[in-house]
Amino acid sequence: MSSAEINKNEVDIVIGALNADLTQFLTSWRPFFSGFHLIVVKDPELKEELNIPEGFDVDVYSKTDMEKVVGASNATMFSGYSCRYFGYLISKKKYIVSIDDDCVPAKDPKGFLVDAVTQHVINLENPATPLFFNTLYDPYCEGADFVRGYPFSLRSGVPCAASCGLWLNLADLDAPTQALKTEQRNTSYVDAVMTVPAKAMLPISGINIAFNRELVGPALVPALRLAGEGKVRWETLEDVWCGMCLKHISDHLGYGVKTGLPYVWRNERGDAVESLRKKWEGMKLMEKSVPFFESLKLPETALKVEDCVIELAKAVKEQLGSDDPAFTQAADAMVKWIQLWNSVNSSARS
Amino acid sequence: MAGYNLEAIEAAPLKDDVDIVIPTIRSLDFLEQWRPFLHHYHLIIVQDGDPSIKIKVPEGYDYELYNRNDINKILGRRANCISYKDGGCRCFGFMVSKKKYIYTIDDDCFVAKDPSGKEINVIAQHIKNLETPSTPHYFNTLYDPFREGTDFVRGYPFSLREGVQTAISHGLWLNIPDYDAPTQLVKPRERNTRYVDAVMTIPKGVLYPMCGMNLAFNRELVGPAMYFGLMGEGQPISRYDDMWAGWAAKVVCDHLGFGVKTGLPYLWHSKASNPFVNLRKEHKGLHWQEDMVPFFQNLRLSKESDTAAKCYMELSKMTKEKLTKVDPYFEKLADAMVTWIEAWEELNPPVKKTQSDGEDVKAKG
Repeated sequence: MSSAEINKNEVDIVIGALNADLTQFLTSWRPFFSGFHLIVVKDPELKEELNIPEGFDVDVYSKTDMEKVVGASNATMFSGYSCRYFGYLISKKKYIVSIDDDCVPAKDPKGFLVDAVTQHVINLENPATPLFFNTLYDPYCEGADFVRGYPFSLRSGVPCAASCGLWLNLADLDAPTQALKTEQRNTSYVDAVMTVPAKAMLPISGINIAFNRELVGPALVPALRLAGEGKVRWETLEDVWCGMCLKHISDHLGYGVKTGLPYVWRNERGDAVESLRKKWEGMKLMEKSVPFFESLKLPETALKVEDCVIELAKAVKEQLGSDDPAFTQAADAMVKWIQLWNSVNSSARS
Repeated sequence: MAGYNLEAIEAAPLKDDVDIVIPTIRSLDFLEQWRPFLHHYHLIIVQDGDPSIKIKVPEGYDYELYNRNDINKILGRRANCISYKDGGCRCFGFMVSKKKYIYTIDDDCFVAKDPSGKEINVIAQHIKNLETPSTPHYFNTLYDPFREGTDFVRGYPFSLREGVQTAISHGLWLNIPDYDAPTQLVKPRERNTRYVDAVMTIPKGVLYPMCGMNLAFNRELVGPAMYFGLMGEGQPISRYDDMWAGWAAKVVCDHLGFGVKTGLPYLWHSKASNPFVNLRKEHKGLHWQEDMVPFFQNLRLSKESDTAAKCYMELSKMTKEKLTKVDPYFEKLADAMVTWIEAWEELNPPVKKTQSDGEDVKAKG
């Protein structure tokens, strides 16, 4: 499937602007963003005016817009990296592709620039195979197939809910790891897309991600906020928490999550050692989250994504609330998110 | 000699800890090309088919060879658990080995080249895979975090970063892919040309189709579970030997807390077997796998099964109980599984080890 075969009208590219000057970012992505509708959401805490080059079909949203749509008190939900969730909320498209504003197109081993948008949409449009691992990875791509021993009843696959891309250069490592290995850069281009098996947990990064908004939109929750959350990925976990919820709900509803291609090139930004100096509570929260999600069973009656999120929030509050106020806040945010989602999207429905 | 690899000849990692098991019915000429990489290792050749045929082993290799007569002599009445006229006979080699690691390879597999043109040292990669931890409890999006140049990603729980022991290393194949007969018939020209530069752990609780063409495992940890079933002549099914072993071994690994890796190394698979013959061999399996897979997916081994052998005995009971209704073959298979373990334990008697503080340690395997 080439970019010519993708229906660009089904896609919104949502960019969270944590940097005011998006010139380099958008210029480098122009070949691949061209023809798509862009939603740029400005971090409400960013004071400067955004600098956006000409020639894009783009709608820009700032703090004022957020307050208009969700009210002033709820607008705080969308600060920092979470600003892009506002874009997810108000989008009307089937697919969302979201890339951090410090990433540019990567080059594949042949030297060609990678069209991350097209690859994400291809991933989303083709089935996922979470119920049995295929040793040749994506069975639907050109030149590959299901291997001997793969049950035929499982070869139709299931709908793909999310496509998690990767990063060359500055990989998405945490602060301690990057601080320890200051020079390490990811140079390994692994030429595969694969489905992460059902029940398997993984850290989903928000840096380079796409999802089927019609299928699982409400499950992308801007919920977990670290006390010392900062403006570099080393100082956040909102996407990791969101990803845990998303994977769990996808598993429950029988959808798949893919990982692998496409790669983006992540530019140098921030200082891991500096980030390490901050009190790093994220580690503790992750340790508590893992056994919670491992043992969690959503009720059979939760058949809609929104209901799954509500049930998940309930469980978080009951089982994790006493461990750390961050969890209670996350649970409340998840409930609030669904309320906002329903109100914004019901008025949009004809 | 093109692609002569001096490093490989000198490297030969852990050559005293590895046996290379090769089932063959035709010829071992393929070993000529493997010389730089396998020359230093001990081979266990399991000769399938007519035992009166003399199979020539290329000069200079250190080996032991077993034909059907040898298998019958060594196992006696228990020899009936070893397949005849099927690659599944290779598991006899696993049983007679005394080494820590086994590498098994098919006789139509050759040395592949990586994208830079360098010849791939499969043994070195398998050993690396087996000697570094696996991460079955949480998927790492940058794949094997213990590989050079990569690591655990942000959000990966620190408590899980030690990983677990790796029991199985499943390698892949360029050129002729390991397809079933229907797929081969529909795509006779398809070749696997995609070199995916990754090793990854298959998550706990997840099954996969294990191919025996390019496979290594820790015999001490999981050997008894690597039984390749009753296949070939006199049996209603073939080409499910490695599948059966793979599903059983994965369930056992998950239960005992070991990891299974897949991905690198690649080798070059040169021979496409006849798809019509394959269809005949595997067609029952195509239907039965619809029952076998849920069987393995849903079974739970008991806490008391704390070794691979005990797990496998429990598995044999479950096989008899749950799969006989699919076909009486499974009752025979279940009995053969018991025979296999009995034979394994006879050839590999538990060794009473004492730790330095004098306490007895439970024997392995």
